[in-house]
Amino acid sequence: MADNCILCGIVDGAIPSKKVYEDDEIMAVLDLNGAAPGHTFVFPKKHHTIIEQVPNALVGKLFAMANKVSTSIFESLDIQGTNIFLANGITAGQLVPHAMLQVIPRREGDNVKLSWEPRQLTEEEMSTVELKVKEVVDSMPLPGAAQSGQKQKPKSGGEVIADEENYLVNQLKRIP
Amino acid sequence: MEQQSPQDIEALKEKLKSMSPEELKEFQKKHCIFCQIVSKKVSAKVVYEDAKSLAILDINPANPGHILLMLREHYTVMPQVPEEDLKGLFVTAKLLSNALLRALEVKGTNILVANGPAAGQKAQHFMIHVIPRSEGDGISFVIPQQELNQKQLDALAERLRERMGTREALASQKQVYVPQKKKEEAKPAAAEPPLDDKPVAGPPERQQEEKPEEGILEDTGQKKGGGNLDDIADFLAKNG
Repeated sequence: MADNCILCGIVDGAIPSKKVYEDDEIMAVLDLNGAAPGHTFVFPKKHHTIIEQVPNALVGKLFAMANKVSTSIFESLDIQGTNIFLANGITAGQLVPHAMLQVIPRREGDNVKLSWEPRQLTEEEMSTVELKVKEVVDSMPLPGAAQSGQKQKPKSGGEVIADEENYLVNQLKRIP
Repeated sequence: MEQQSPQDIEALKEKLKSMSPEELKEFQKKHCIFCQIVSKKVSAKVVYEDAKSLAILDINPANPGHILLMLREHYTVMPQVPEEDLKGLFVTAKLLSNALLRALEVKGTNILVANGPAAGQKAQHFMIHVIPRSEGDGISFVIPQQELNQKQLDALAERLRERMGTREALASQKQVYVPQKKKEEAKPAAAEPPLDDKPVAGPPERQQEEKPEEGILEDTGQKKGGGNLDDIADFLAKNG
């Protein structure tokens, strides 16, 4: 539990919520003043500031729950689609310093905006980015590597990043 | 792309309806650019791949490094994906998000799924977007807040709990009612300009708006998760 964390407050009952799912590890609650009825937050009960710090198995569980919530609201409400949205870091729109997914009900012409102007990059720019990303990806232990028979690369840094070293976490700590 | 005549579209629909599930799958794969990328028939900038999935750079990205992560297997929408594969894919998304932060030294990432055209789904091959973000990058995602009818939300929560099988587990817990401050008379929602793709520069805003109360517990028994034959036919007619 973290001080001044609204989601931790919801977990321990200090802050009222409308739960749609709860077990030992995760919760799903309705956003009381969300984009539309059915807007749901799905999050781990244990306090993790950013998604990188959430263990992989729990990440899978959270998104599987988001999928269930998405199907359930789609079947229960007159909506035309859903988004699953994760904001990782203040720059990406993370508002609460506790890793959280959002399931957002959508209708044509609603006032949710999750679109962007597609950009045109030059071939050189694209190639540069491709190389940079591949280099880092190749140095990380990724789940599929074992399956496809690739050699396991040595671990570099593991899956959990220490708070002190992490820019995103430090930014989020400043949220009042 | 050549415009298809109404007769062509009708003929296509008929053809699709007469196909077996296997034939339909093959047809989808043949017309799916992402299936062709997966099978290396069409080239793409692949940044990760394994036995089950593939990640490529979007050629018209929101930001440089925008990744499209997909399963090799063709699924149109998320509910069709087997749960274990879905979990695995999202774990990969998280790790690719890590990779973007380290490779591009950006300050944030978004992980986004769009289910249905109203949600911004453009491709008929289920995928996850992993988008690197920087200060002042010109992307503005807006998820507005508005006052919702709390009693309706209570009813909805109950219905969802029932649907998701957690009703018994939570039955013993106190029903939570959040006191509502006095609401102004509901105004009709202001006419919204059509959604376009032009982002407003700056950080995401929070808007305060009141919407008229809507009935939310309509039975939508006919609704499917998407991907029925007519939808596929329509999509292929426009994009084939």
